[in-house]
This record gives sequence, structure tokens and C-alpha cells, in this order.
Amino acid sequence: MTIKLRENLVAYAFLAPFLVIFLAFLFYPIFYSLYLSFHRVTDLYDVFGAMQFVGLDNFGKMLHDGQFWWSLLMTLYYAGLVIPLGIITSLILALLLNNRLPFRSLFRSAYFMPYVLDMFVVGLVWVLIYSPHFGVLNRLFTLFGIDTFLESGFLGNPYSAMPAVALANVLKGSGFGMVLYLAALSNISPSLYEAAAIDGAGGWQRFRAITFPLLKPITLFLIVIGVITALNAFAEIYAMTEGGPNVEVGGRALGATWVTGYYLFRTFYVSLKLGYAAAISYVLLIFTLIISVINMRLFRTEER
Amino acid sequence: MTKGAGGTGRRIKAGQGTRKTYTSPSKSRGAHLSGRHLRAMLLYISLILGAVVVLFPFFWMITTALKQPGQAYSLQLLPDRPTLDNFRRILADYGFARYFLNSIIVATSAAFLATLFAALAAYAFAKKRFLFKRQLFLFLLASLMIPGMMYMVPQFAIVSQLGLMNTYAAMVLPHLANVFGLFLMKQFMESIPSSLLDSSRIDGASELQVFRHIVVPLSLPVIATLFLLTFQFHWGNFLWQLIVTNKESLYTVPVGLAMFRDAHEELVTLKMAGAAISIIPIGILFFFTQRLFIEGMTKGAVKG
Repeated sequence: MTIKLRENLVAYAFLAPFLVIFLAFLFYPIFYSLYLSFHRVTDLYDVFGAMQFVGLDNFGKMLHDGQFWWSLLMTLYYAGLVIPLGIITSLILALLLNNRLPFRSLFRSAYFMPYVLDMFVVGLVWVLIYSPHFGVLNRLFTLFGIDTFLESGFLGNPYSAMPAVALANVLKGSGFGMVLYLAALSNISPSLYEAAAIDGAGGWQRFRAITFPLLKPITLFLIVIGVITALNAFAEIYAMTEGGPNVEVGGRALGATWVTGYYLFRTFYVSLKLGYAAAISYVLLIFTLIISVINMRLFRTEER
Repeated sequence: MTKGAGGTGRRIKAGQGTRKTYTSPSKSRGAHLSGRHLRAMLLYISLILGAVVVLFPFFWMITTALKQPGQAYSLQLLPDRPTLDNFRRILADYGFARYFLNSIIVATSAAFLATLFAALAAYAFAKKRFLFKRQLFLFLLASLMIPGMMYMVPQFAIVSQLGLMNTYAAMVLPHLANVFGLFLMKQFMESIPSSLLDSSRIDGASELQVFRHIVVPLSLPVIATLFLLTFQFHWGNFLWQLIVTNKESLYTVPVGLAMFRDAHEELVTLKMAGAAISIIPIGILFFFTQRLFIEGMTKGAVKG
């Protein structure tokens, strides 16, 4: 009995530092955030001293908040660009590298490297590349006689802003998917391809019938983290567009890159609407959990 | 073109049996070989093109940072009169030396503590028996489903109420319980034979001594991995560092860069020097430890 007690005490002593931080900063906030979402901040100079209970008002307000719904739409658009583009890029890179050739690991590192860098800082570099008139990309486009983006730059044009942000993100992040695909590719037995080749299957047929199905778990995984990344998107937007440029939608000016993560930041950090921001983050949490559950379902059927 | 090259790659790996499908049987052996060379060449061209596209922003960042201020938008791939003056000025005149030091302090202390806490807790989970072990572990793992953005508002409120705004502690403390790191380490430590720990206990070592003299030395690879990953995370933990500091003396490099951008939009070469100061250290770190980085970052993913 005492030995058992001692064993427990020792174990929990080892766990203590981790658990204290976990409970204070990762567990308690989930409930605290809910509490905050039922309140309104009444004094901007004493954000936490003066809070007023408003019940479900913040959630009600969200229903009529055009900026919020627009941000969800833009998040969906962003995800719709980043996810397919990222998966295709990762897959192409992985297929190229799935060979025994000299300098293979050098290329692998080169493609992966941008993934470890800070999105905000990388975004600032892209601002330079995308800039109007003298930006490198505009110079390149003028060589081909395209001057559509000359005045506005790629980030100042409402049609090209989101694709431009997405491209920057894809080129930075596709090394991650590439490594996952490479690992999966190396697990596919060569005999499968040999058998298919004997049956007369061409390269594209073999890719469709063997490679792609066997890579499906990775693809599903990349879709799920892609959705979560899109819901969290902030640094790239803050660096490159700050939610803009504005477009006229039904008589309102709305940001062409106004994604939910960025709207959340603005609500909290610029407008100082703490309670409302907490409510928005709760809605984001619920979306994420729904996606995670769908994901787990998909994986389970995959295993059967 | 890329797809064809990918298919080729598979064929080379798959072995000799399949090569005939690509070259017409009537051709001589010499022609067949040159076809293969052609394909290898195409493969390399694709790989190099990919690397050029992926790495161009970093190349452009460094080139621009080395240009004379007046030539910020010149198209020279290598500046004709390269200068390190931008680096000197941004470090000395715009406070980036201090920001760099802050980034080092924050990232190093956070990486050290997060790794230590994760190692202690992982040891308990891997080698000890205690009440609610399984439940506790699942509970910790469940937290991985919650997106980071969700925590911005409540963690900010907690840190503020603790009176920690504008301290290093505020930047570091909320991120010291790294559940993914705990998971990584637990898996590794489970492979340490328990008999080794027991024999050391019989020799009279205390629990802490067993941890320090046996568990830690044997877990060095995974400790190094987690240290690197947490260092990298905190080096780029831009959003959080931005919201908990408004004192210039506490800015980290990306926060300083954001402020610099807002104040001196036109100083492009200096801005790129600042970006390089943020990116080069992680780039170098990655270059020397890429295997740890790539394995650490993708391990959790592959397991689901």
C-alpha cells in the first residue's frame, strides 16, 4: 500500500511541471473562453476589470455579422485553393524524387526547407515579389505582354490577391506533404507495378490504379490539416494583404482575403472586442472538431 | 511533363522488367540507353526547376538585402555593388540586434523548458505505473485536436491577469506543455530496457538520478529533435509574441519586423535584411540537422 502510494507520488512528481502548464494554459482556457464569450468588455482601458454578462448575445450577433459570414466564405475559398494546389505540388515533388538518383536527399531538403521557416517573414518577401510596377513577377509578366497587374500588384488586385497568397503558402508548405508521400511511395511494392506492366498498363494507368489509391490515407490527412490550417490562417494574411483589397459585394466593402483567422485577430487585437472574439473562436473550434470527427470516420472505414 | 517524368522514375526503381514498355522493341540497345538518359535529364531539369521556384523567394530576399538602397527593385540577380550596410543599419540603427537577442532568449529558454517538461512527463508515462495513467494520456492527446487560434483570446486574458504582459515569461509560459513532444518522447523511452533502470536503482540511485544518468543520455536523439522543433516553433511564434508585447525592448525579430514594416514601408532593402536575420538562423539550423527536423515533423503525422 505505502509502496504503491510512493510509486504514484513519484510518477506524479515527474508529471507535475507538464501537467501544471497543461491545465493552466491548455485546459482551463477552453472553459475560460466560453465564459468570456458570454461577456462584453465595457471598458477598453480595463479590459478585464469591466466585463458585463450578455448571455448569448455574442453568438446572436454573429448570425447577423456580414463580416463574419464573409470571412467563412473566404476561408472556404482559401482552403479550396491551398488544399488541392498543395496536394498536387507535394505529389509531383514526391513522384519526381521517388527515384534512386544522385543528389536526391539534397533536393528533398531543398523542397522541405521552407516549411520550417516563419510564414510571416516569408510573406514579407512575397510582398516584394508581387509588388506593382517593379516587382519581379510583374517584370516577368510584362515580358509576355501581360500588364493586368502592373498598377495594383498581385496583392492589390481583388481577383489575384487570394490566389497569390495561396501560392506563397503552397510553395512554402508542400515539402511537408512531399515527405509524407515519399514515405508512402517507398512502401509500395515494385512487384505491383511489374504485374501491372505485364498486363499492359501504361504509366498513367498504373498511377491511377496503384499509386493513387495506396496514397489515399496521406491525401486524406493532408486535406484535414489543410482545412485546419485554413481556419487558422493569419500570418500570411497579416504579412501580405491585411485582409484586403476591398471588393464591393451588395453595396458593402469586403476584403478579398478576409479569412476568419484574420477577422478573429482584428476583432480581438484591433477592435478589442474580447468577448466577441472568444465567441468566434468557439465557433472555429466547433468547425475543427466536426472536421476531425469526419476525418476519423474516414480513416476508420479506410482501415476496414 | 512532370507527370511523365514521375512515371519514368518509378520505372527505374521498379527494376529492369518494365523498361520495355517505354522503348519500342525494334530499337537497338544504344537507342534504348539514350532514351533512358533523356528521361533522366528531363527528371533533373524538372527537379532543378522545382527547386528554383521553391527557393526563389529566399534567394531574392538575400539578393535584395545585399543591394544598395536605391536599387531595391533592380532586376540584377547578383547586385553589382553588393553591400552589407543594410544588415549593419538594421541591426545597429533599428534595434534588430536587441530583437535578435530577444528571439534567442525566448526560443532557447522555451525550447529548454518545454523539452525538459516533456522528458520528465514522458518518462513517467513510459516507465511508471500510476493511477489514471491511460485516461490521463488520452486526455492529453485529445487536446491535439484543438486549433491554436482558439487559444489566443483566453491565453491572452490569463497572461494579462497574471500580470505577465511584456515579459519573457508571457511569451514562453503558455507553450511549455508540448503534447506532441510528450508523445514523441514516450514512444522513444518505452524502448529503453527497464532492467537498466532497475539495476541502477539497486545500486542506490534516486529516481532523479536514474532519470538524469540513464534515461536522458539514452534519449538524446529524441531530446535533440524536440529541442530543435520547439526552438523553431518559438522562433516563429509571431502572433503570440505580437499580442503580449508592446515594449520595444522585448520585441522578437518577427515582431520587430512587423513594426518596422508599418513604420518604414519604403526601406525595402533594410526590410529584406531584417527578414534574412529572421530566416537565416533557422535555415542554418535546418541545414545541419535536417534529418532530425524532417523525421520529427512528420513522425506524428504518419502515425495518424
